[in-house]
Amino acid sequence: MNEEAGTTSAPGSGEAAGLDAQGAAVIMQQARERAGSELRVRRPMLFVTWGLVLLIGYGAMWLSVLGQQPFRGPAWPTLLLAFLLLLAALIITAQIVDWAASGVGGRSEVQRGIFALALAAGYAALLIEKIAVAGAGVSRPVQAVLGAAAPMLAAGLVFVATSAVAARLNWTRLALGLWLLAVAAGGAWGGPVTTFAVCALAGGGGVLLMAVVEPRLRRS
Amino acid sequence: MSEEELDPAIHVPARLRIMVTLASLPDGDDLSFTRLQDLIGLTPGNLITHLRKLEDTGYITTHKNGGGVTGRTSVALTLGGRSALDRYSAALRELLDSASPPAPGTRT
Repeated sequence: MNEEAGTTSAPGSGEAAGLDAQGAAVIMQQARERAGSELRVRRPMLFVTWGLVLLIGYGAMWLSVLGQQPFRGPAWPTLLLAFLLLLAALIITAQIVDWAASGVGGRSEVQRGIFALALAAGYAALLIEKIAVAGAGVSRPVQAVLGAAAPMLAAGLVFVATSAVAARLNWTRLALGLWLLAVAAGGAWGGPVTTFAVCALAGGGGVLLMAVVEPRLRRS
Repeated sequence: MSEEELDPAIHVPARLRIMVTLASLPDGDDLSFTRLQDLIGLTPGNLITHLRKLEDTGYITTHKNGGGVTGRTSVALTLGGRSALDRYSAALRELLDSASPPAPGTRT
């Protein structure tokens, strides 16, 4: 069976001539693998990107507030580092999604748009609320706890809510969402310093772990 | 069962590739003509001819958004097309199973 001849020959009568069952099975397998590798968003790469951003970003903030007396909050250079990491992660995410989703339209496109809108709107609302809280005279430690935990909370809620949007329940997204909610709630109890460490190690570590777990879950 | 009984609209290398590629997308999704061409590796003319055949059988739908240079043609598998591919896969499996020699030591 000449597979390439089959793919480039002009269609007409007798076009299946020479295509045996074994050859057809090979073509199906190759087409399935190619479509799978090119049209699927490389989630492990996304998990590694965001896991590292959380680990380094929150980790740097934790180190900058460690031992502060009185508590003043993360230093400006670490906030700038976190902002730059966030920007880099957004660019990488857009690139990874674009590789797979280019040319794909329909329901998935709408779902991706809603997912992005939910995250963007959630974080915009959080930023405005954080400014309002600071303006209301709330203490630095409380601002730090809110500032660290609230982004995890927002992301966790969006992940949980969108895990059931597709035809099949997305277990990875659900598990990750619930984990982020647990990290946000649990970390807040540790106080303004510990919450950064919890978000860095448990939040970032959890997302990094997903990079290993997700491909196995998908294959099983 | 013989190879002649396999769906002739699908049992052609290029159309088989098209059907399997479109079936890898979730229900409700479509693929642009240019991305499909990139994945299948056909010339535009050949791809159009194969798509027409599949559209005539009701296995796919094509939709054009906009016109001129910026126009985008999208291709999607229909429910009937997905069922036809499932039937084709089952028939192919049956054919391969019946053709495979019995395992060593198996009584016939």
